[in-house]
Amino acid sequence: MKRIGFSFFLGILFLTLQTTLLSSLPIQRIRPDIVLILILFWGLTYPPVQGGILSFFLGYLMDLFSGNSLGLYTFSRPLLFCLAELFKGRLYLEGVLSQFLFVFFFALFEGLLILTLLSALNPVPLGNLYPLVFTFYFPQSFLTALITPVLFLLLKKLYFSFFPPYGIGVKERG
Amino acid sequence: MRIRSFFLFRRYTILTFIVFLLLSALILMSLRVKQRKGIDFFDALLMELTSPFQKGSTAVFKTIHGVFQNYIILIHLQRENVMFKQKIAELQKENSQLKEMAIANERLEKLLQFREKISSSAIAAEVIGQDPSSWFKSLTINKGEKNGVKKGMAVISPEGVVGQILKTAPYHSTVLLITDYNSALDSIIQRTRAKAIVEGIGENRCQLKYLLRSEDVMIGDVVVTSGLGGNFPKGLMVGEIRKVDKKEHGIFQNAEIVPSVDLTRVEEVLVIAESPRPQQEDKGKKVKKSPARVVPKKK
Repeated sequence: MKRIGFSFFLGILFLTLQTTLLSSLPIQRIRPDIVLILILFWGLTYPPVQGGILSFFLGYLMDLFSGNSLGLYTFSRPLLFCLAELFKGRLYLEGVLSQFLFVFFFALFEGLLILTLLSALNPVPLGNLYPLVFTFYFPQSFLTALITPVLFLLLKKLYFSFFPPYGIGVKERG
Repeated sequence: MRIRSFFLFRRYTILTFIVFLLLSALILMSLRVKQRKGIDFFDALLMELTSPFQKGSTAVFKTIHGVFQNYIILIHLQRENVMFKQKIAELQKENSQLKEMAIANERLEKLLQFREKISSSAIAAEVIGQDPSSWFKSLTINKGEKNGVKKGMAVISPEGVVGQILKTAPYHSTVLLITDYNSALDSIIQRTRAKAIVEGIGENRCQLKYLLRSEDVMIGDVVVTSGLGGNFPKGLMVGEIRKVDKKEHGIFQNAEIVPSVDLTRVEEVLVIAESPRPQQEDKGKKVKKSPARVVPKKK
């Protein structure tokens, strides 16, 4: 329970940082999506039910603070979490390059998913958004992936210091 | 055997849970499309619970940023810069209004009345957060329903139009920026009085749509609000034309606009609580309040 509460506040902290600090950086239009990194980290380390609920909630909050009134992130974030769960234990994700590629492809996948959903749900064509995939979303996914190894390391250390692995293992086993 | 069946059950439980979670998200999406009221209440509640974090964080970053800029690097220059920027913004606004008045001299009195009305019914708000996603363009402000802010109200800054209220909570609101692809605004070109719709295309840019091919449009032309939507008063600066795309065929031509407000750096805004409706007021008739013309576009 403590772990969920901690993760919940960590999620809100990441979302807050994304909407405030990262938005005020000099290159505002291309900023890393740290919430996505956190959700993928949960996907690799968290049990499915708890992580699923957390990612659903964080997606919901993202929708709340964005100009998106459809609720696309409430759908895409748990989906990404579940997909990351599938890769848990199947891929070697300890290396910098593998972490980079893992997050990069997931970020791209989410971008395409959102674009597809937007195109499907909007009555008017969204021709303006397609060029953004190359000029904007591609560099942003790259930047998100670039900071992933550092953030993964920090998150690992943070969770390790608050919740030692032995304790987690015992709790998970029930 | 029992152990095996337990693991199978557990496996399917997780699968069921995942399906349930994704279905919930799809149901939520459907409820949002239908604009059900229960969702709005839940949204407002969550927004109120999480906005203080944004508010606190913005305050901390602003303080750090302020200390760093004001006291360490550019003590005097920064102040002067802020003063000059304010002056320029005021002059730009004044210039735009003067041009507007010169073109429509007979409407001078009405425009002055507009200004009075805007200033009396404007709610000042502070920007406490930007859009967390990259596909959408919005801001979170620290004023909500309890301060008189309602869905659809126009949001402006001294430099021009910022956007309009998309979601409201008791003490916080989300502003849909004019650069968001969902935003559309009824406007006119100041020089030629040609009517068009300003639509957001992301990346701090907008485009002018449904502009007749026969209309004379030039790079550098100023685009102002037409006042026809009902939410925005007439004559507010929207932006400047950067590019004109006139194809060899078709009824319309397209133009690209750079908003007059730097939406990535806007810190304080004004929410126009009541928008004056000139033509109807002139006739002295009571007219039913009609919804915004196209803003935001229905998804």
